[in-house]
Amino acid sequence: MKKLFPLLLLTIILTGCQKEPDWGKLSNDLLVYTHYDEEVDFAKYNTFYIPDSILVLDNSQKEPVYISNDDIRARNIIEALTDEMTRCGYTQVYDRADADLGIITSYIKRTNTYVGYDYPYWWFDFYYYWPFDYWDPYYYDWYPYYPYPVTYSYTTGTIAVEMIALKDADTSSKMLPFVWTACMAGIESSNQINISNAIAGIYQAFEQSPYINAQ
Amino acid sequence: MKTTKILGIIMLLCAAIMPCTAHAQLYKSTYYNIDWQLNTPVFTDYANVTSGWGMNFEGGYYVSSKIALGLYGSFHTNNEYVETQVLQLNSSSSLYTDQVQSIFQIPFGALIKYRFIEDSMFEPYVTAKLGTNYVRMSSINNVLDFYSDSWGFNVQPEVGVSIFPSAHNRIGIHLALYYSYSTNQNQCLVYNLNGLNNVGFNIGITF
Repeated sequence: MKKLFPLLLLTIILTGCQKEPDWGKLSNDLLVYTHYDEEVDFAKYNTFYIPDSILVLDNSQKEPVYISNDDIRARNIIEALTDEMTRCGYTQVYDRADADLGIITSYIKRTNTYVGYDYPYWWFDFYYYWPFDYWDPYYYDWYPYYPYPVTYSYTTGTIAVEMIALKDADTSSKMLPFVWTACMAGIESSNQINISNAIAGIYQAFEQSPYINAQ
Repeated sequence: MKTTKILGIIMLLCAAIMPCTAHAQLYKSTYYNIDWQLNTPVFTDYANVTSGWGMNFEGGYYVSSKIALGLYGSFHTNNEYVETQVLQLNSSSSLYTDQVQSIFQIPFGALIKYRFIEDSMFEPYVTAKLGTNYVRMSSINNVLDFYSDSWGFNVQPEVGVSIFPSAHNRIGIHLALYYSYSTNQNQCLVYNLNGLNNVGFNIGITF
C-alpha cells in the first residue's frame, strides 16, 4: 500500500492538470432538459390551469417568495407557457377544480437542491415549495408522485416547469402524479432572469416534447 | 572496537567510491525524458481533435548497453466544442444543449526500451510501455458537467530518437511518435467509449 501511495498522489496531482473548456463559447447557450411519463397518454387531457405566479427558490429566503404576473418577467413566462399549451390543443381554465392538468413554474435562484433516484420526493421538507392544497384544500397532506426517476440537479439560474395530472390524482395513496418536467438552465444574466432566454427555453422544451398534444 | 573499525573502513570506501558510481550512472545508465505532448484520439467520434494540452514523463535504467527498464507517466486533455443539439438521453428524456466534449487521460506504468545505437549524437530507439490509464470522459456545458471515470490497461508502442548535440554533455532533445491503446470503458450522456486509441507526438528534453 505504501508503494501505491506515491502513484495515487501523482494521479491526484495530475488530475488537476485537466484543461478547462473554452467557457466563452458556452456561456451564452441554454440548456433544456425534459422528461415525461411514458405511460401517460397526453391526449386524454383537455384542460389546464396555470397559476399567475412563479415561485422563487432561494436559500436565503425563510418564507415562500412568488413573482406575480404584475412583474413583466413572470407575465412573459406564464404567457409563453399558456401559448404553448394552447398551441398543443389544451384549453385554459380559470378554476383549478376544472383542470385536467396543472402547470407549476419555479425559478431556482439560489439553491443547491439535488434531485436523485433515491429521494425523488425532495420537497417533502421543502416547505416553501408549491403546497398541494394550493390546487384544492382537498389535496392537503397529499404527496407528489413521479412515475419516472428524476435524475437532474437543479442549479442556480434555472426555471423548472412541472405538469401535474390533476385528473389522475390517486385518492387511495394521496399521490399527485407529475407527468412532465422541464428544466431551463442558463437563463440568468447579471443575477436576473434573462427573459428572452427563458422564453426561448420554454419554446424549446415544448418543441422537444411532441407527445404533449391534446389531439 | 573491531566492528567499529570495519564500519569506519566501509564508510570511507563508500565515501570514496559513491561519487564516481553516481557520476557513472547519471551519464551512462539512467535517462529521463520530459516532453510536451501532441495527442489525437482516433477511431472514436468523441473529442477526436488534436490537442497540445499534455506532457509526458519518463525515466529508465539501462540494464545492458542497449536495453533499459523504466517508468512512464503522462497526462493529456482533448476538448472539442459541439454545437447545440437535442440529445435523446433515453426514450423519455431529452436534453438540448451545446457542449464541450472532453477526454482527459493519465496513462502510467512500466516500460522497456531498446536503443539501436548507444553513446552517439543520435540514439534511435523503440519502446514498449505497459500500464494503466485513468480516463475522464466529460460533456461540459455552461451549467453542468456530466462525466464518467474509468481505469483500463494501457499499451503504448513508441519509436523515437534522442539527439545529443554535445559529446560532452548528455542533455539533449527527445522526439517520439507513439500509438496508445487502453481498455477503458466510459459512458457519458449518449456517448460511449469502448476502448481508447490515441496517436501522438512527444518533443522535449532528455538527460
